[in-house]
Amino acid sequence: MRALLIVLRRIVRETWPTLARGAALTLVVLAMGVTLLGLSGWFITAAAVAGLAGLGATFDVFRPSALVRFLALGRAAARYGERVLTHDATLRALHRLRVDVLRGTLAAPLAQVQRLRGAETLNRLTADLDALDGLTLRLVLPLAGGGLVLVGTGLALWGLVTRAVALWVVVVPVLGACLVAALRLRAMLRLSGRAEAAAQAFRSRLVTLIETRRDLMATGRLAAAAAAVTGAEDRRAALRRQLDREDRRVGAVLAGLVVLAAAGALALGGIAVQAGQITAAQAAIGVFVALALGEVLAPLRRAFSDTGRMADAARRVAGRLPGDRHDEARPLRRAAGALRLDAVSLDRPGGGRLVAGLDLVVAPGEMVALAGASGIGKSTVLAACAGLVPLAGGEVRIGAVPLHEMPEDDLRATVTLVPQRSALMAGTLREALHMADPEASDAALWTVLRAVALDDLAASRGGLDMQIGSRGTALSGGEARRLVLARALLRRPAVLVLDEPTEGLDDATARQVLAGIRATLPEAACLLAAHRAVELKAADRVLSLTPAPA
Amino acid sequence: MTDSDTEFRLARHRDRRAEALSAAAALIWIAQAAVLAQALGALLAGRAAAPVLAALLFAGLGLARIVLAERAEARAQAQAERALTEVRRQIVAVEARRASDGAFGGAGAVAALAGDMLAMTEPYLTRYALARARVMIVPPVILVLAVWQSWAAGLVLLLAGPLIPVFMALVGLAAKEESRRQMTEIGGLNDLLVERLGAVLDIRVLGARPRVLDDFAAQADRLRARTMAVLRVAFLSSTVLELFAAIGVAMIAVFVGFSLLGAITFGTWGGPLTPEAGLFLLLLAPEFFQPLRDLAAAWHDKAAAEAAEDALRHWQADPGEGMPGTGRAVAPLVGPALIRLPAGPGLPDGVDIPQGTRLAITGPSGAGKTTLLHRIAGLVATPGLEVCGVPLDGTTADAWRARVGWIPQAPRFPNETLRQVILAGRGGDPGAAVRAAALEPVIARLPRGLSTRLGETGGGLSGGEARRVLLARALQGAPDVILADEPTADLDPETAALVTEGLLAAAGQGATLIVATHDLALAARMDRQLDLGGQACARC
Repeated sequence: MRALLIVLRRIVRETWPTLARGAALTLVVLAMGVTLLGLSGWFITAAAVAGLAGLGATFDVFRPSALVRFLALGRAAARYGERVLTHDATLRALHRLRVDVLRGTLAAPLAQVQRLRGAETLNRLTADLDALDGLTLRLVLPLAGGGLVLVGTGLALWGLVTRAVALWVVVVPVLGACLVAALRLRAMLRLSGRAEAAAQAFRSRLVTLIETRRDLMATGRLAAAAAAVTGAEDRRAALRRQLDREDRRVGAVLAGLVVLAAAGALALGGIAVQAGQITAAQAAIGVFVALALGEVLAPLRRAFSDTGRMADAARRVAGRLPGDRHDEARPLRRAAGALRLDAVSLDRPGGGRLVAGLDLVVAPGEMVALAGASGIGKSTVLAACAGLVPLAGGEVRIGAVPLHEMPEDDLRATVTLVPQRSALMAGTLREALHMADPEASDAALWTVLRAVALDDLAASRGGLDMQIGSRGTALSGGEARRLVLARALLRRPAVLVLDEPTEGLDDATARQVLAGIRATLPEAACLLAAHRAVELKAADRVLSLTPAPA
Repeated sequence: MTDSDTEFRLARHRDRRAEALSAAAALIWIAQAAVLAQALGALLAGRAAAPVLAALLFAGLGLARIVLAERAEARAQAQAERALTEVRRQIVAVEARRASDGAFGGAGAVAALAGDMLAMTEPYLTRYALARARVMIVPPVILVLAVWQSWAAGLVLLLAGPLIPVFMALVGLAAKEESRRQMTEIGGLNDLLVERLGAVLDIRVLGARPRVLDDFAAQADRLRARTMAVLRVAFLSSTVLELFAAIGVAMIAVFVGFSLLGAITFGTWGGPLTPEAGLFLLLLAPEFFQPLRDLAAAWHDKAAAEAAEDALRHWQADPGEGMPGTGRAVAPLVGPALIRLPAGPGLPDGVDIPQGTRLAITGPSGAGKTTLLHRIAGLVATPGLEVCGVPLDGTTADAWRARVGWIPQAPRFPNETLRQVILAGRGGDPGAAVRAAALEPVIARLPRGLSTRLGETGGGLSGGEARRVLLARALQGAPDVILADEPTADLDPETAALVTEGLLAAAGQGATLIVATHDLALAARMDRQLDLGGQACARC
């Protein structure tokens, strides 16, 4: 629940003007609905009394009937406005939330970012964000609007009917709803959390089953794995049945409260009429207003059943939101000089030493290759040079500046890393390159494309306006790799760190690309992780990593 | 609002009992309204009244109404859950045994269908049929009662009621048109976010953070503006409905009020309108429109349900070919593990592979090396293929695979511990296989050793380490046949040598070893080569 409040506070802070207007209209709609029914009941009863007494001619019919028409039409109009405003606020909120998740993830440590690569993790995240869409619309606005209308109703009945009726009509639903919340909400939260977990288990087990079915078949475990998937669905269905039962019970109790409120208003009002305290028309107000409360209470059922899913989603999403600190704009300070690793030690993500006491200097204009078997830690050393993983010991410096003292923007302006796996986004070739430098001229873009031997391909396929497809699918693996390298060159960094830069390229192209990189950035200190002969040959020096002593 | 000709398939059984319960619950309101009208009528006429008794009667009827409605809903929910579980079981059963992905798509697409898409049909399945049943029954009954009390009141309902669907349909059509035009852009925010989250590392190392954030925020804002344009039109439809309902109720209230005052003298069947009848009409009027409003709300759920139904039909259209066998662990086939390949593409004569053979399947990419391995493993039905002297088919495939160690090309582990992955349900002690695959240093480095959980991210294993895990799994239980698909691809020379030696050591103990490979060094270590590119059996 705390996470839900954190998410809610953020939403309210970002969207409060729209939200406030939407809330005001919610209130107006509910109040008009209650007033309409109460007024109609009074009007007819009072008219009947006047008609029976033969006073029909002196009874003011026009004001009440005009008010009835005004309320009826005005309510429909207000309802339209309310829908538009609350949905606008909701959309603003959920868009804001997505922007915040992206901002938070962009500042997150590397390990967390790598976990996000899994399709299922991403799927779960978007499902959680979708679940939070209803936070204001279904939870906050109905609760706040309903509460205020109940208070207003109580005050009105206090003056118009009798105190007993006023108390009964307001206290019974409020107390009842609070009682239901106190007794059942916790159980429902738990149930819906478990049902959601089972649904996610079903989904991720199904994905694994499909992706590994051949493997499972080959090892005689397919039947058992399929049964485990179905088992998750059966568990979800069983939990869902319980949840549905709870939900129906809550709905029945809320409907019962309205019946109880109306019946009580009839009994108390009737007794008061017989005692001569109020007129029959006043009693009618109490009864009709109590009936109108059905509309106020009905959304609470949805709120009850959705709170669990939302709280669950908020718990996971809240961890991805960024802090409130905003970076001030200030001029960039690029560091220059050699890349220097002094006694650097690095740990594995799971624990245990990976690299111990590594010393290395890459001078400006020099290209050094890191070699060693896979899993030895080449990629982690490169990530450390880009300031993406914490050091377990030692120091990385560029010129005289320690890496850990450089602000993020300065660091990125100084060091550029090309990771082993890169992601491209849908758009044109120009847009993909502009991500590295939005100011770059077309001539500069062609220069880096030429350096990585992509210029002929680009020229033959529509130039810089060539569409590269979602995730760069219009490019082959080798073309995508070269585009990523071109993008890095555009940064013109003092230190260039490349993780297996020519993977997927044939030897001739690989040689050409490596030469192009050196020609474009003759002054850069360049460190690469390599296991291909062509990469090792292109380097000035090769450093073989050895396993850290256990 | 009539039945479309493509009734949603998940809702194939119509539960008439639930529909009757739901309609009956709604009709009880008529009795409640009569009780209230009588009680208030007696009060205002100053007749002897028993308000407490009336209140109890009203509450009792209300309770019955709630119970019936709850029962109807319970039946509908139970049926919806049953239908969804049944469809999901079917999807799991078919997808588990498919030999390859169908036209519908891979794991992600199927999981989206079986998970969220089907779940989104739930509101439709539980609400729509009941709301439709109420629309068929409740408004006509109320209309008859209203006409019986006053033809004028009946006329108001008669005019307002049927006009509602007409106007809603018109506005709904406009909204649909509008939303279709912009549909591609609207579902897109999650896609945009996922794409950017996938590229977080790149965005960061390129220092493009502020720019990407600004762009994304601007795109999100444009998307919101467009979505709101659609919603503004879409909301008109429910507003029209509410407007008509409100006008209907207000007209009846005003008509009844004026009649009771005596200002209006028409509209009844002789005699003035009694106060009881007036109150009764006022209480009934909103309930005349309520079922229509419920159906309109459920109508919106129908769109989501229809999308899921379409996807389901698309999925069902391509059941694909199943893998032979059941995928259970069974007793192995007996006899020498002789494999007799029938003639086929790239194999003009067919080939016999006696037990203990070391065979390399070579050939250019796309020549069918992997497919041939799949055939030998019994993962694709192959008429004419014999193993251990019997045809390899659905009845023998499980028992054959119990003798086979399998190394696929791409490591992809389920969410299990390393020990479970290596044992693969075969039991025993993984020690020998771990040693043969030179996995000991890898396991020693893992924080939880053999109990480390793998899973989607591979538990921190590198590609070469994962390949060695697959090798250990294939060697576990000393199988008679080892099938390996590109066991040395993408490995550095040291790891490739480790894997090659592990495979050859197993073959040295009498197992058949069949590798599909591009790696000339590995192929040269085998006894025979089967070149699918042209000349079969270069060195037979």
